[in-house]
Amino acid sequence: MAVSAIIGGVSSIAGGLFGSSAAKKAAAAAAREKRRLQGKLNRLEKNRQEVINPYEDVKSLSSMITNPFANLGVATGAAEIKIEEADISLANSLDTIRATGASAGGATALAQAALRSKKGVAASIEQQEKSNEDKAAAGEQQMQRAKMAEEQRIQSAEAAGKQFVFGATESREQGAIDRTYGELQAVSGAQAQAKADQTGAMTGMFGSLASIGGSLLKQ
Amino acid sequence: MEKNLNKNLFLQQFNESDAIAYNKDFTSGISDYNFQLLDNAYRNTGRVYAKLKLAIDSNRCQEETCAYELAEIKHLQEAPQLSLDFLSSLIAELSVTGDPNFDLNNDSKYTIANSIISAKPGFSKSDGYNVYLDLLQDGAQQIVFIGPAFEEPLVINNTALNALAESNTSLVAPTPDINKDMLRLLTEVGIFSPDMVGENGELTAGAKITQEYVIMNPDGTPDYEIIDIGNGKGRNILKYDLDKIEKKVTPFINAEVAGLLSSEQDAVAAWNVYISKGTSVEEDDQMAQNANAGDTSWSYTEDLPLMQDKKVLFEKKYKEYFMNNYLKQFTTNQLPTVQADAAVFDLAEAKKAKAQKFIDDNNL
Repeated sequence: MAVSAIIGGVSSIAGGLFGSSAAKKAAAAAAREKRRLQGKLNRLEKNRQEVINPYEDVKSLSSMITNPFANLGVATGAAEIKIEEADISLANSLDTIRATGASAGGATALAQAALRSKKGVAASIEQQEKSNEDKAAAGEQQMQRAKMAEEQRIQSAEAAGKQFVFGATESREQGAIDRTYGELQAVSGAQAQAKADQTGAMTGMFGSLASIGGSLLKQ
Repeated sequence: MEKNLNKNLFLQQFNESDAIAYNKDFTSGISDYNFQLLDNAYRNTGRVYAKLKLAIDSNRCQEETCAYELAEIKHLQEAPQLSLDFLSSLIAELSVTGDPNFDLNNDSKYTIANSIISAKPGFSKSDGYNVYLDLLQDGAQQIVFIGPAFEEPLVINNTALNALAESNTSLVAPTPDINKDMLRLLTEVGIFSPDMVGENGELTAGAKITQEYVIMNPDGTPDYEIIDIGNGKGRNILKYDLDKIEKKVTPFINAEVAGLLSSEQDAVAAWNVYISKGTSVEEDDQMAQNANAGDTSWSYTEDLPLMQDKKVLFEKKYKEYFMNNYLKQFTTNQLPTVQADAAVFDLAEAKKAKAQKFIDDNNL
């Protein structure tokens, strides 16, 4: 009653005014909330934290993989000694033959023995070289396998890293952004409703407008 | 500034208390609220309207074009709608002074005006107050409040009020509901699992921070802190990686602050009412008695727009307020989730066992 006295006019105007002011207050609050959510959304979108890929620094170690059998040396030192020993033995035997006046056939036999000895040495070197080649080939094969395994490890790490970054981004920032966006949509609806309520309250009052200032609008 | 704050505080306490009901002078006197704003404003308009209309109809206008008369008639025809719109906007603005978390640093003139317009005891015509609605020559309207509590009349023009509303500003700064905001923020900072959030959008009663933030032993078991509960008994409580929690929640708090700062007067109100003093929620509930921020408050007339250093300070203190008043309860005195570890035990035995484990683990 006191409120009607304050405003004046017919009592429905005072009631309508307070209804309209409540709707205006609600609309203003909704507009503020909308602005707040928009500010929050902007910050969330702008300052998306860079998700660190824990696999980012994984490097291929394939360049460090070498074939330890690639350059194996042949043990020719012992073979050379053996040849030298054979030559010395042959020289000594020839000296003995000369001193004792032994036949030329004995010398020939000695030379043949020396030749056989040298052939044996050559065969030993050949055998070593063959063994080394086999080892180098096996080493090469092993190295290729190791390099492939390392490359596969890198590819897996890269894929896992990408998956991690995607997953982390999706579950963190996007969740917050989506939620805030949802709230923003909801508050826009509330704002529209408050404005509609305001219009409704004002329309109700317009019926009483003619009473303000007597018959002003009728004149 | 302090005078204004004290005046607002007095008005708030006066309006909220029932003291006036026991004042015999008041109860025996007349309380006349018959301000009749609209009746008084439009009392002579009918005659003015008729004169203008007559001047036009009888070719007796000031000028040949009757421009003045036509403009005046247009103003008068639009005036009632403008008045209703103006009054409803003004009532909406002034009603903020009655909000429970109203910032007392707002201009106390608006609190007095609201007391008049809402017919509060002690603010009637009989108490020396009055309100006028004036229809101005240019079509604008103004409302004038006068009375003992005003040092000078409070004049508000409808065009100024409309301009403020259009730019999303207000005469009286409403205080954001920080409690509601922070309860919601708790669910958004990413340290609680989604199933801990109830249908009302807030954390459920038994909500706990996810296991990811619990400090664990190398063997994967939680590294409990033992607390003394008296009588030689103890309990395990969970220890949390507070640095990790802080790193996780900070971007979300900063986004919340950015949202608040999108309306700086709201941020000032939040600062004055809640944030500035670093008070507890309980203390804030009694803010009428505490006179809000007092000497650390920011002024609406002097501190707006907010300088960068104030924005940084606001962000820092907002975070502290959130951490101390809302998050801390989830990182302190939290019982283990493993049933067996949550039992009460003999303190001496437990301490001995823990020491022995340390010796064993470190081969001492």
